[in-house]
Amino acid sequence: MKIMVDIKKRLWSGRRVFRLEVAFASDKDFVVLFGPSGVGKSLTLQTIAGLTTPDEGRIVVGERTLFDSSRKIRVPARHRNVGYVFQDYALFPHLTVAQNVSFGLKQGWPWYLPRGERLRLDEALEIFELTPLKYSLPRDLSGGQRQRVALARALIRRPSLLLLDEPFSSLDALLRVKMRQELLKLKERFTIPVILITHDPQDVAALAETVVVYEHGRVSKIISPPKHDYPVRERPSLSSWAANLCA
Amino acid sequence: MQSILEGFAAAFRLIVTGNPELWRIILLSLEVSGTALILATVLGLPVGACLAMRRVPVKGLVISLLNTGMGLPPVAAGLFLYLFLSRSGPLGFMGLLYTPTAMIIVQCILAFPIVASLSHAAIANVDPVIRQAAVTLGATPIQESLAVVKEARYSIMAGVMAGLGRVMAEVGAIIIVGGNIAGYTRVMTTTIALETDKGNFELAIALGIILLTISFSITVALRFFQRLGRTGTSAASWA
Repeated sequence: MKIMVDIKKRLWSGRRVFRLEVAFASDKDFVVLFGPSGVGKSLTLQTIAGLTTPDEGRIVVGERTLFDSSRKIRVPARHRNVGYVFQDYALFPHLTVAQNVSFGLKQGWPWYLPRGERLRLDEALEIFELTPLKYSLPRDLSGGQRQRVALARALIRRPSLLLLDEPFSSLDALLRVKMRQELLKLKERFTIPVILITHDPQDVAALAETVVVYEHGRVSKIISPPKHDYPVRERPSLSSWAANLCA
Repeated sequence: MQSILEGFAAAFRLIVTGNPELWRIILLSLEVSGTALILATVLGLPVGACLAMRRVPVKGLVISLLNTGMGLPPVAAGLFLYLFLSRSGPLGFMGLLYTPTAMIIVQCILAFPIVASLSHAAIANVDPVIRQAAVTLGATPIQESLAVVKEARYSIMAGVMAGLGRVMAEVGAIIIVGGNIAGYTRVMTTTIALETDKGNFELAIALGIILLTISFSITVALRFFQRLGRTGTSAASWA
């Protein structure tokens, strides 16, 4: 799906000004925003989701213009139909797993779901292996389980785009490898384009179809990794290639 | 010493035998303070929620005013309401002075800043990412606010309990606007003040004991809600 972002935004913090001026476009289904902390990757994701409004520019996802300052288009965040997985997952702490996942579904009376929606909830819990954890609260879950809840909650609404803000940063190395595989499977299963933020070259190597490299609020390069026909797991050469991006 | 012991003995006799005068006073106390608290919550919670979640022009000033209101001396509140409600005052035509309604109004004025200010603090304490998460999941502004308020519900309950604690124990305001009329506007705290003045200690001590019991129950409830707020669940954490 075609994704086009061309935005400018200034943020003030005291006398310091942060200028975000990024433009990138991709017709690939897996875009990775790559760069060190504090260069505006998360801010870019927030503008795509509609949580922050850019000063000027344009954001197009597929056929849909989500934001265009010259044409005064600004689709409200809740109508953008974008799935967002926050860095620390932002689960509702006082809601159970099932209530968290069903938050975006059509609600009847408090926690009463119409039958069709209940089926969707059960299906999602099944896909993400959360059925046994249905009545648990987020604080009783492990990092990996929390992430599955966050993914299920975002994907149950069948969004047209999935945004992931450093999804693997709080997982241990072993789990990270596993979750990367899971993520690729999910992307196939839901046929959904993904934009992912990371500062881990491993993620870039394993996942990216387009890499957008950030530097001080600007895009320094946009690269498509070398073509590959073999399984992602066996791409060691790519990770050294990705490591070079940092240099 | 002798008289204190006798006083307690008589007081227990009053409580155990269920003196109708005593019960009427207790019930009126609960009715006045309870109604005032419900009103204060209905008014204060939305104010606290708006302050915490919406852009309010003079937010800092409003919060300072509310915090001042938390320490508002009850006698001062009573005095001002008295001036408004007295025959020559602007609202004198309503004839509310020396009625339970006037007592409810003044206690509501006292509880409102506490409920508003503490629920503001409770709601402002909810992680802002929670709101963003709700929005990306398609929540309307009202659903978004509800999600945040629900997250803060136990801390809000603690604020309401704090408000109840204040109005139950308060005497200065209701004695001014209520007038302490026997069988009509006489409540626990005003009775204690009066009977102590008269040297009539049995009823005063009996009411004192009951008032303490109620305060204790409020404190226990407060702790219960604060604990729920921290741990988030009921059954599991109590085991």
